[in-house]
Amino acid sequence: MSNTRSHIWFVSPAVLLMFLILILPVFVAGTFSFTDYNLGSPDFKWVGWKNYESLGKFSSYKKMFTASLTYVVIVVPVSVLLGLGSAMLISSLRFGGELYKTVFFLPVMATLLAMAYAWEFTLDPVIGVINKFLDDGCSVGWFYKLFTGSWLGFNPTESWYGELCNDRMPNWLGNKKYALGSISFIGIWQAFGFNMVLYLAGLTSVPRDLYAAAEMDGANSPWEKFKLVTWPMLGPTHVFVVTITSIRSFQVFDTVEALTRGGPSKSTYMMVYAMFEKGVKQNLVGMGSALTIVFLGFVLILTLTQVYFINRKVHYS
Amino acid sequence: MKQLTNLGSEAGKHIILIIGAIVVILPFYLMLSFSFKSPAEIQSISGGFFGAQEMMIDRKCLKTESEGLMRSKEECSMLPIVYNYKAAFEEAPLLRYLLNGVIVTLSIFAIQVIIALPCAYALAKLNFWGRDVVFGLVIFCLLIPVHAIALPLYLMLAKFGLTNTFAALIIPWTISVFGIFLMRQFFKTVPDDLINAARMDGMSEFSIVWKVMLPTAIPALLAFAIFSVVAHWNDYYWPRIVITGDQDLMTPPLGLRMFKSDMDGNEYGPMMAAATVIVAPLVVAFLLAQRRFIEGITLTGMKSR
Repeated sequence: MSNTRSHIWFVSPAVLLMFLILILPVFVAGTFSFTDYNLGSPDFKWVGWKNYESLGKFSSYKKMFTASLTYVVIVVPVSVLLGLGSAMLISSLRFGGELYKTVFFLPVMATLLAMAYAWEFTLDPVIGVINKFLDDGCSVGWFYKLFTGSWLGFNPTESWYGELCNDRMPNWLGNKKYALGSISFIGIWQAFGFNMVLYLAGLTSVPRDLYAAAEMDGANSPWEKFKLVTWPMLGPTHVFVVTITSIRSFQVFDTVEALTRGGPSKSTYMMVYAMFEKGVKQNLVGMGSALTIVFLGFVLILTLTQVYFINRKVHYS
Repeated sequence: MKQLTNLGSEAGKHIILIIGAIVVILPFYLMLSFSFKSPAEIQSISGGFFGAQEMMIDRKCLKTESEGLMRSKEECSMLPIVYNYKAAFEEAPLLRYLLNGVIVTLSIFAIQVIIALPCAYALAKLNFWGRDVVFGLVIFCLLIPVHAIALPLYLMLAKFGLTNTFAALIIPWTISVFGIFLMRQFFKTVPDDLINAARMDGMSEFSIVWKVMLPTAIPALLAFAIFSVVAHWNDYYWPRIVITGDQDLMTPPLGLRMFKSDMDGNEYGPMMAAATVIVAPLVVAFLLAQRRFIEGITLTGMKSR
């Protein structure tokens, strides 16, 4: 090992930038969250905890927490399970697996904002193919029966699809009842291919002979083998996939800003968008900073939970 | 009998995966299809994937003059596909956006490497006082999500009058703690003998970093490059905050948004043509080098930002 002083030249630019770009801003946000500062005005007042209190007081922030949590609670489990499911299907295929893998990974690569607009036009009430497809389905006997549940003996006009057939197909992004669901759907569409790839990597590390061993113990059905071997052996992958998907879902911004701007009636008003709207657009820096600190708290909790689980060595081998 | 059920289950799996693939492909299909079709076909949801490609008349073209004469209908009629892509490049400075995207992503990557590589080398191969502290700092910074520091960073840049500049698009990304972490892990595996031999030859530490370590790190660096370029080409959040109004500085996603808000009535075709042009480079690169891309994005996806 050398005893030159060159390390100073190697390390100091990085350390300086870490302090300036990553650590200092956290303190800046922390400080401003106790003020009524806004960009352009010469001075500001200290307002104590007022900004944080507003977070609990005003209904728009309550809606924000509800929307963010609902989004995470929908997107995380669905995209994780879809990732796992498609990984298991693909890895058990005899041919064609690579092709599906490529297709499912496309949304991870593609510019989300551009794809958000493509989805907007797909879901459009006038020119969208989804509603046209559903509309056409109303007059196709078996399709109508299948989706109204009338083949099970339900009254078709009382079902969700039956009512839509009699009325009109929903405005997916413009109706408060469907907007959050539609944004979540796009989130799932975008995220699950990433999870699939991680699960595919996880699956290759499950030792083959464990399945033979499980068979000897009497686990014959695929479900039992899955429960006994696959699921527990994927322990570390689960922890990683769930945390990373949760953190990313908390950060959802592009689709909200481009398609709904938090509406209709704040049903898709999510945290990072709220931060942007308050702090940047409306120049309410104090409020935006308070949101920033709360957001940071959420993400830190998620990350530390992950570290805790990984240190507990979540495998059962 | 067993073979038959095996065949059946293989077919069943394909059916499920094909349905999934259709849903995944749908917006890509629609984006391409819209970029080919005429406004009338888009409005009436007809014309299949490629549209009938009947000649159409560009109304904006009719209103412009050439050499003092109004243009004739013949001069202004064209195929819908030509109309859409022509409008995408002419009505918005799409080329400018693409160029900005290239400048920003490449500058970010280059600076990240210049800052991270020497630091990673020092952390992996040099003994100095405070090394563990610096490495601890790197790990700590990995925890900070970039969405959380965007607002204060924006305020700091605004204080120095740097919003609406290329610098604002690049500065926040110059330090990649993940890059340092990744490269340090990689450099740990490089044998000390290689470095000692270089020192014997009289190489300075500086040239060891760039002439010995850099070439050994090409695979790791390539994965990091893919990760970095994909992330910043696609990024919309940060450009949206620091660039307000100045079209000459807009990156592709921001430009697309601008295009959409300026769009009158039913210019879905040109809009989707622009989207296709923006999405295409990465998707084509991905299709050509899938394994590398998947590696780059998932391996380095350990980073949460």
